[in-house]
Amino acid sequence: MKKLAVFAIIVLIFGTISPSLVDHAYGQSDPSILLRIAVQADKQIVNQLDRVYGDQIPNNLQILYDKGHRAVYSLDKSLPNDIEKAKQDFLLAMNSFMQISRTISQSSEKVIVVTVSDKSNRHLTSEIDRLEKYVKTLEKISKKYNTNVESDFIKIYDLIQELRIQINDGYGTYDDVINEIKIILDSVKNDIRESAIKQKSDFIKRFFDRLLNQVDKILTHAQDNDVDQIQIDKASALILEIRELLSKNQINDAKVVFAELKGLMEKIGYPIRIT
Amino acid sequence: MYSFIEPTQSNQSLGDDGILFVRNEGIFDTMVKTSLLLASMIIAAALIPIQSSFSSPRDLDLIIYPDGSTHISTEIDVDPFVTDYELNLFGSTIDNLVVVGDNEFLLDTDIIHDSVLIQTFGSSIISIEYDIHDLVSKQGKLWTFSLDSPSNFTLLLPQNSAIVGMTNLPINMEIINDQNKLTLPSGKTEIDYLFSNTISNPIPDTETETNYFSYAIIGGVIVIVLIGAVIIIRTKQKNLKSSTVGDVKPLPISDKNNILDIETIFKLKPDLREDDQELVKFIFNNGGKALESELRKKFLQPRTTMWRAVKRLEREGVIEIEKKDLQNLVKLRKNMEEEE
Repeated sequence: MKKLAVFAIIVLIFGTISPSLVDHAYGQSDPSILLRIAVQADKQIVNQLDRVYGDQIPNNLQILYDKGHRAVYSLDKSLPNDIEKAKQDFLLAMNSFMQISRTISQSSEKVIVVTVSDKSNRHLTSEIDRLEKYVKTLEKISKKYNTNVESDFIKIYDLIQELRIQINDGYGTYDDVINEIKIILDSVKNDIRESAIKQKSDFIKRFFDRLLNQVDKILTHAQDNDVDQIQIDKASALILEIRELLSKNQINDAKVVFAELKGLMEKIGYPIRIT
Repeated sequence: MYSFIEPTQSNQSLGDDGILFVRNEGIFDTMVKTSLLLASMIIAAALIPIQSSFSSPRDLDLIIYPDGSTHISTEIDVDPFVTDYELNLFGSTIDNLVVVGDNEFLLDTDIIHDSVLIQTFGSSIISIEYDIHDLVSKQGKLWTFSLDSPSNFTLLLPQNSAIVGMTNLPINMEIINDQNKLTLPSGKTEIDYLFSNTISNPIPDTETETNYFSYAIIGGVIVIVLIGAVIIIRTKQKNLKSSTVGDVKPLPISDKNNILDIETIFKLKPDLREDDQELVKFIFNNGGKALESELRKKFLQPRTTMWRAVKRLEREGVIEIEKKDLQNLVKLRKNMEEEE
């Protein structure tokens, strides 16, 4: 018995520690990637310096570059034996290169944060790529629920194709087409949601049933603790209303009343939680 | 049956120095019920991963588009016994948000500034996808990605982008459709990148290198055999000929007259490194000038290393660099003696 206990303890201790060991090992799985990234960055910095300054590289940048380049050289020497040194060299090199590229960029333009509203910086191909990814996600979900929206997706893909042609040609009514796609997508989303709710109504009813039973218990407890009876009666009425709506399959209405019940429970100091 | 602690004096005498010995064989079983201990440890060990997995992302994948917008997809374990789950988003400019619960059930969401309230309906795992425009900023031609991630994540960079700085150590890197995909640790990360037309290929992948390794060995053996054969043939030819033929073409007399001879150069610059001296010798024998690309080919040096060497010689006043058809033409200086 004693041996078994010791064995179990060892297993448990190892089991607790092992995830961190795995993470650690994974973090060092391929240290050569550090060198590959650093060498690529080094080349890019040389190109940048050459392009911007030619032979007249400012002294501060030259010093930074030398520091970074030496770190890349040291990184090469450190691998594969001295991983810790290699990590330090990598961070030193990348930090030096980062400072150089930021200094070069600061001397040219002000910071422009990329935002949706920034039309001047608009990249239509990216916008369409993102939109297409979104459409594909919705299409996957719609297939799951057998919604009758195939024709909508065909129309959307046609419009996306049209947009790509317009971009290649260099002119077109981009915004009109994008808006048309978004209108169809909204309609598709509504169809999916309705279909999903129909198919999942039993699941949702069971969930609400479990939840409302718990709220009943909480209200009994609240009553024992002298909570205002008017509030308790109000909560009980809301529970009845939700049950009635669920029996009529009016899930969305039930959710609205449930939100009211939730607010009321929080107000009387007994927030809803099943756990 | 459990044994009890018994003072040894009941069946053993005290030692000479008067120390009281206590038998400790049964302490473990006696003080703690082993089975209870085991059960509690197993339960504790089982609970740890469950508690820590709630509300923490299982996967977090990011794709950066060429315009700096970022697609985020993540899976999160949530408490199946609550109605709502509030998730902090990585910013406030959100597009194309889709949240699905168990069995791909589309969930209702409400975005409030930089968080989203999700009606989970008892789901235990939720998948979230959205586009965000807050993670990348641009300054001049430099793009900067910044994120404070709660977990490890993958980041797919746009095509033709090259990393020029980063604050974290990557866990892994691979190539997907000519794009660099990094796996990065949790915490704050900043990555600077540029778009460059000069990048023909992303950083070579180890896997690709491994795949070609066997071909490289076979190719290497063939090349060595061919080189060996060429050397043997040429040695035989040399023996037959009375005069030897050098690799370097003889210099035109006019060029020789215009530049200093090699010994004078080394006398004037005694501190030149050995490898730099070799460069100078080659340039001298090449008529006093050579393209930087020729030097790279001759000495099998990477672009950066050769560029540094040439710059060093220029600083020493040994050579001067001229642009010729977008290339660097390296020339030995004629007036080096005067400067000295």
